[in-house]
Amino acid sequence: MKFDITAIGIEHIYMTLIGYTIVFLALVALYLIFDNLPKVLLIINGLLEKKTEEPKQHAVSSKHNLSGAVNAAIATALHLYFDELHDEEITKLTINKVSRNYSPWSSKIYSVMQSHLQPQTNKVIKK
Amino acid sequence: MEGLYKFYELSGFANATPGHIVMILVGIFFIFLAIRYEYEPLLLVPIGFGVIIGNIPFTEGAGLNIGIYEEGSVLNYIYQGVLKGVYPPLIFLGIGAMTDFSTLISSPRLMLLGAAAQVGIFLTFLGAIALGFNASEAGAIGIIGGADGPTAIFISSRLANGLNDTRNLIGPIAIAAYSYMALVPVIQPPIMRLLTGYKERRIKMKPPRTVSKTEKMIFPILGMLLTGFLAPSALPLLGMLFFGNLLKESLVTNRLADTARNSMINIVTILLGVTVGASTQASVFLTPQSILIFVLGALSFVIATAGGVLFAKFMNLFLKEGNKINPLIGAAGVSAVPDSARVVQHEGLKYDPTNHLLMHAMAPNVSGVIGSAVAAGILLSFLN
Repeated sequence: MKFDITAIGIEHIYMTLIGYTIVFLALVALYLIFDNLPKVLLIINGLLEKKTEEPKQHAVSSKHNLSGAVNAAIATALHLYFDELHDEEITKLTINKVSRNYSPWSSKIYSVMQSHLQPQTNKVIKK
Repeated sequence: MEGLYKFYELSGFANATPGHIVMILVGIFFIFLAIRYEYEPLLLVPIGFGVIIGNIPFTEGAGLNIGIYEEGSVLNYIYQGVLKGVYPPLIFLGIGAMTDFSTLISSPRLMLLGAAAQVGIFLTFLGAIALGFNASEAGAIGIIGGADGPTAIFISSRLANGLNDTRNLIGPIAIAAYSYMALVPVIQPPIMRLLTGYKERRIKMKPPRTVSKTEKMIFPILGMLLTGFLAPSALPLLGMLFFGNLLKESLVTNRLADTARNSMINIVTILLGVTVGASTQASVFLTPQSILIFVLGALSFVIATAGGVLFAKFMNLFLKEGNKINPLIGAAGVSAVPDSARVVQHEGLKYDPTNHLLMHAMAPNVSGVIGSAVAAGILLSFLN
C-alpha cells in the first residue's frame, strides 16, 4: 500500500472540517449552557424564595447560614450521643441447668466423674 | 488405525499454521501484560484469552460449528452482540452510571479540551484514505484516536463489517483500540513532556467548586437533548451514557444504577472481551491491513493527545494569571477513562508533589467520551 495523498478528495476534506466543527459546536454549546446554569438556577431560586411566606423564608435562610462552628458542634453532639448508645441486653442473671446426654463414647468417664463427685451416693449403692 | 488418523486430522496439531502460533503467543502476551504490569487487566485478560480461543486450529467447514465465523456455533451467537453493535451501548450505560460529571459541570471550559483531542479521529480518517482504505473503513479506523474501545467497536460494526464493499476490520480495530487504551501510560507521557515546558507542568489550578444536586440531574437531560439533536446517529451511545448517568444522579434508582455499573457492565465486558479476542483468527487478522490499522491507530492516538495538550496551551493565551490551565490535563481529552486522567495526575506529581491534577483531568476525560461519541455519530451519518 502506498501513501497517495491524491486519494483524499475534496468531499473527504469537507467531511473532516464539518465533522470536527460539529464536535466542537456540541461541546461549546454544553460549555455555554453549564457555564450559565448556576446563574439561571440562582435566579430561579431567588424568584421562588420571594414567593414564599416571611416565616418560612427566615427558616430557609437560617438553614443555609449555619456556620462551620455550629456544624462542628452538632456533629460532635451527634457523635457523642450515638457513641453512648449501647445494645439492649438482658439483665436477668440465672443459673441454667446443664444436662449431659448419655453417649456411649463418654459413658465410662461420665460415670467415673459422677462417682468421684458423689461418693456418698455410691456407698449407698454398695449396701 | 484409520480412525486414529481421522482423529489426528481433526485435531489442532494437524491444522496448526505459523499464523495460529503467532496469534496464540499474542494472546499469552496480552495476559502477561495484564497480570504482570496490570495494564487494563479487566480488558486484556478476556481479550487475550479470547485470542487463544479464536486461534485454536481446527478443520473449518467440517460441520463442527465451533469457529466464531461459523454460523450456528455458540461463539458466533455471542459474537452477534459485537456485529450488531449491542454490547457497546450497554457498556456506555454502565459508564454513565459510574461517571461523576461534577468536575466537568464545575469547570465547563475544560469541555473544550475533550473536543480538541478529537482532531486525531479526523486526521487519521484522511490518512487512512491516503493509504488506500475506502471512506467507510477510514472512518472506522480513525475512531481509534478517540481511545474509546466500545465506540470503536460500534463504529467498525457499522462501517467496516465486511458488507457494502468493505472489509471486516472489526477485530483489528477493536484490538488496536483496546491495546492503545492499555498502553496509555506508555504512549502519552513522552508527548506530554515534549509539548510542555517545566513551568507549565507546575501550574496549579483552582479547586473545582461544589456542584449542586440539581445541576447534576440537569446535566444528563440537557446533554442528551443537545448532543442527540446535533448527532442523532450517536443516540445508541450517548442515549445510554446519559441515561446511565441519570440513573446515578436521580438518587431514586439506586438499584438500577448499581446493576448497570456493576453486574451488567461486568457481564458485557466479559462477553465483549472474549468475542473480540476470538474474532482475531489468524486467517482474518494477520493481514497487511491489520498492521496498517495498528500504525494508523497509534498515529491517531498521538495526534489526539497532542491536540488536547496544544489546545490547553492555546486557551492559556487568553486566560489571566491564576486562572490558567495546566496543559498536561489536555492529554486526558482522549477519553480513555480514567487511565489518561491517572497518567496526568502521575505526571503532574513528578514536577510538583503537591499538585494534584486528577480532579481537573477528569473533566476533559469525560468530555472526551462525549466528544468521541459525537464524532462517531457524525462519521456514521456521513458514511453509513
